[in-house]
Amino acid sequence: MRNFPYGPVVVRVVETEASKLDGTAEFDPLAVRLAEGDPQAPGSLVKRHYAELYRYAFSVLREERAAEDAVQDAFERAFSALGRYSERRLRAMRLRPWMYRITLNVARNRLRQRREVPLEEISAVDSAGHDEQREGVMDALGALGKLPERQRVAVTLRYLQDLPYAEICSVTGWPEGSAKTLVRRGLMRLRKIMAIEDTRGDRR
Amino acid sequence: MNEPSVERPILLLRETAARIAPVRGTPVDEVLAGATDSFFAAESPLGTVYVAVGQEGVRYLDPADSEEDFARRYRRRFGRFVSPAQGDEVAGLAEKVASALAGERVDVPLDLSRATPFQRRVLHVVKGIARGEVRPYVWVAREAGTPGASRAVGNVMANNPVPLLVPCHRVVRNDGSTGSYAFGSGEKVRLLRGEGVEPEEISGSPYVATPTTGIVCHATCRNARRIQPYNRRAFRSVRSAVEAGYRPCKVCRPVAAA
Repeated sequence: MRNFPYGPVVVRVVETEASKLDGTAEFDPLAVRLAEGDPQAPGSLVKRHYAELYRYAFSVLREERAAEDAVQDAFERAFSALGRYSERRLRAMRLRPWMYRITLNVARNRLRQRREVPLEEISAVDSAGHDEQREGVMDALGALGKLPERQRVAVTLRYLQDLPYAEICSVTGWPEGSAKTLVRRGLMRLRKIMAIEDTRGDRR
Repeated sequence: MNEPSVERPILLLRETAARIAPVRGTPVDEVLAGATDSFFAAESPLGTVYVAVGQEGVRYLDPADSEEDFARRYRRRFGRFVSPAQGDEVAGLAEKVASALAGERVDVPLDLSRATPFQRRVLHVVKGIARGEVRPYVWVAREAGTPGASRAVGNVMANNPVPLLVPCHRVVRNDGSTGSYAFGSGEKVRLLRGEGVEPEEISGSPYVATPTTGIVCHATCRNARRIQPYNRRAFRSVRSAVEAGYRPCKVCRPVAAA
């Protein structure tokens, strides 16, 4: 079985990122601020990415507390890795895809750990606010969750997270063609899943 | 590929995206509390210093030129980011640090978890040197359980992560001369004068004895300070004092081999 290219080893991910430093990419001003010791910079990084990373984690884990914990964990891992980087390397970081990679790994590992726990021990969704909107969200995420892993990642990054293909490739390490194919296949499959659920819904 | 039917999942996903938001907004402080170390500024005899806080207490104190300078040095040394302390989180500690830096006798909790056991023992010994007193390296080495490690003590002093709170400026050379200081020997002299120590008086004669008791002390030992001027006998080493018939003080415990 093929391993997913955004494997769980964060250290490897870090090295890959460093090897992409060709000097042509524009510097992320926030990476520069982090390198230069601006004490407000860590807070700015959290503010800038928290909501989108939370959305990703929630889409995988489908539970508020678990999503919050995963994002917290991702930031802790990120700062602890970035803290050990040289100023030069830090300055050249593309922080957004890098934050995504860590979050993808954390969320996936946590989902896996959860699957090892017997099903009945999991409180499916917190009971808070079981309104229609929420049910709509859960249905959509449920359908996403039925996709094969790589298609789910591709579709989620593209349409739930609104990342351009260049960034999706940067996050996952896939060539752009593969990313596009995965998104397309994922959407087709999603359409079928939704069609089946529609007919089920009709029978109710 | 552009068949209209995939428009439906796309639309649904975009709607879904708009409806997922962190319930409590972005808990910036909470995230930072776990992912970075907090720091604050304080006034000290060395001017403004910055203080970074670890799990157990103060981890680093540095009279950096600016917050940025401090954050960079901290990251270089500890591999972690700092962010400004929030609210009550470290208010109690900041108050203690301020009092200690103003010369009050306050016990400030330190986080020396990154130091080696030897460094910790040395820093602990030096922390106990009272204001207005100085001790030679040889004494610190002996008190730390490693007699003869004067030079290693010097290295620990040079890399002291918490100067002033662990008063490494109160550690002088074995002959009583002031010696070097991470922030300049001039600063060391100035700090000691501010604490009532006259470096010139100690230099060359770090030990003082009195015939009334037959005891030899460090020149700044609180017992030595009570010796009448006409009874003062200055010594360059404890050994020469012992040869002259004096015994080492049991309070300041000068090193007989020195």
